[in-house]
Amino acid sequence: MANNKIAIPAAAMIAIVAAWSGHASATSLSSDVVAEVAVETSAADVIQTMADQAMAELTDHTLADEVRREKFVSLMDRYFEMDVVSRFVLGRYWRTISSQEIEEFSVLLQNYLALNYANQFKEFNGEQFVVGDETQKNKDPFVDSQFVRPDGPPINIVWRMRMFDDSYKIIDVSIEGLSMGITQRDEFTSVIQQNNDDVGALTAALKAKTGL
Amino acid sequence: MLTACASTEPAQDTSDYDPLEPVNRVVHGVNGAVDFMVLYPAAMWYRDIAPQPVKTSVASFVRNINEPLNSFNALLQGDPDQAAASFQRFIMNSTIGLLGFNDVATDFGIPYRREDFGQTLAHYGIGGGPYIVLPLIGPSNLRDTTGIAVDYVANPLTWGAENSDTAEALYWGSLGLTALHTRYATINQLNELQKSSIDYYAALRSLYRQQRNTLIRNGAPAPASAVEDESASFDFDDAVEAASQ
Repeated sequence: MANNKIAIPAAAMIAIVAAWSGHASATSLSSDVVAEVAVETSAADVIQTMADQAMAELTDHTLADEVRREKFVSLMDRYFEMDVVSRFVLGRYWRTISSQEIEEFSVLLQNYLALNYANQFKEFNGEQFVVGDETQKNKDPFVDSQFVRPDGPPINIVWRMRMFDDSYKIIDVSIEGLSMGITQRDEFTSVIQQNNDDVGALTAALKAKTGL
Repeated sequence: MLTACASTEPAQDTSDYDPLEPVNRVVHGVNGAVDFMVLYPAAMWYRDIAPQPVKTSVASFVRNINEPLNSFNALLQGDPDQAAASFQRFIMNSTIGLLGFNDVATDFGIPYRREDFGQTLAHYGIGGGPYIVLPLIGPSNLRDTTGIAVDYVANPLTWGAENSDTAEALYWGSLGLTALHTRYATINQLNELQKSSIDYYAALRSLYRQQRNTLIRNGAPAPASAVEDESASFDFDDAVEAASQ
């Protein structure tokens, strides 16, 4: 149901883009109009595509845990703006490390998240993921979705997205009002603070957890 | 007096304020040990032994016993409709719902909503203040601890317990069931969190703050004004700016 709701405006958008591009060269429309309509997938479409891919790739019961985690990491690579997420969860401390260290941290973070969340997909049995509406708040679209379980009430998940190079990337996920980015930031900065503001203590802890 | 400040925005805390952290961490540790010895095994046993209908009934009972306070606080928050709804739920569920063990009111289309005095204070713009880990109870803050004390005094069941043995038995019984149900309801998430987190204390502190924010705005999505997380030491705008440099 929700898929259709989104599919119609998306299809309409593409049709408009197609019709538009024919005119664009003839009329003196500014180039930024064309650049704007070139974004053909909405934020909600991106979430739907990601959910379909995750359901297809991660729920296979026969997958080895390690393989599932690798697939989870590559999904994050594709759909999350990891550079931004990494800096966000480090709080103000990202300034104390080099950009190369941030890249290393990003890899650690992805593997840490995969360790915590990838296995959730193993237990899937009859659950459904339904993408709802998107709301624009300040500069970011927030995409509503529901994880519908056969037993128990549905879980509300909200995806915070932002445009990077003409495509929407995820920068935060909230589950029942609890932001994963904020929780992780509060925890990580506490770890750093407890260790005399040394980011190395956090990366060491993450390495110990992930075995990297 | 309350209407005089009714135009204030509900409080939404965006960062942790924990000046008592060393003490809090000690209490957190003691709570964990007590939990490990008493509440956790009880909740595990309850999870594995009790059939689903029993769990559903207990959940309804625990919610029902809170309805007078939900109603009282909804009224204080200037929401007479919600106060009436909570009161109606209490009457329906206590009678045809057989002492609250059946939530018939939800079937009649009156959903449950929790309102405590901490939320009432927040409704009038009062922030959480310093984070406090309460012995046995766990995560709280100055505002919500005040709320617990006020709710305790305002609860008709606490007055009753002083005058009647039946009410006292009901009071202690409901307290025990609330503890058991609450621990059971969070057992899987807390197990996961404890296993995955690097600083369990800090993760709980953050989640407590966010969950209270959600309850204070009655589950509504965060307003745009709260989205940018202004008072936090660092937000997504800073992160994006930094990443593009």
